[in-house]
Amino acid sequence: MTAVQAVQKSIMTEAEPDHGGAFHFPQGMAGFSDACDYGFIYQGHGDIVCIQSTDHPEAAFLLTQWDEQRLGSVPTLPVELCQCIHANNQEQIMWMLVLNPFADHAWVTANVKAPVALNIEARMGLQYIRQERELDIRYHWQRQPS
Amino acid sequence: MLVLRRKIGQVIRINDDIRIIIQDVQNEHIVRIGIEAPKDVPVHRLEIYNLIQQENRSAGGADALKWLKGVSDDSSSGGTEEHHD
Repeated sequence: MTAVQAVQKSIMTEAEPDHGGAFHFPQGMAGFSDACDYGFIYQGHGDIVCIQSTDHPEAAFLLTQWDEQRLGSVPTLPVELCQCIHANNQEQIMWMLVLNPFADHAWVTANVKAPVALNIEARMGLQYIRQERELDIRYHWQRQPS
Repeated sequence: MLVLRRKIGQVIRINDDIRIIIQDVQNEHIVRIGIEAPKDVPVHRLEIYNLIQQENRSAGGADALKWLKGVSDDSSSGGTEEHHD
């Protein structure tokens, strides 16, 4: 089962954010630090899902799963941040990328510099800003649908 | 803005749970600092955080769900996708 299939199976609804099973982001998302609880919405389109804040609906993001074939191994989350999402080890973490379909007319871009780490079991997540310098904020992920 | 003078090894405390320690000064221009803060307090270099913040604001918002709905509708109907700036 792929990561997204696991997410679809465990956390998503097809129309409205799943408030009852909201994921808690203790640090919020960068620029949306007040929005800490997110529901997942799956619209039935491939590997893309939407997370939307349950109390700040303006905070909504498109996510897709990390692709090891294209990007290499998933990041390693520092221990103190693992503790922040109650993950005891790296295997508990599901990595997702924030997609931006609005930055480029030809491409949907992915933020490889700041992926999202999810602990599905604990229903917690965070956006991890990686320290490595040479990481794309707007990696060309897929062509805009036509 | 509060401005403090501190020597190497001295500490600044913010609230009860954040400690900033001056560790070293290199070449008179680069200051190494250690930060101890609760796990749920994000600590980042400002210029990097600002970039991510801007990108999140560009990528996020109500339009994100609209875009996904549009893609889903188009893929099911065979229509074309609207592009956003």
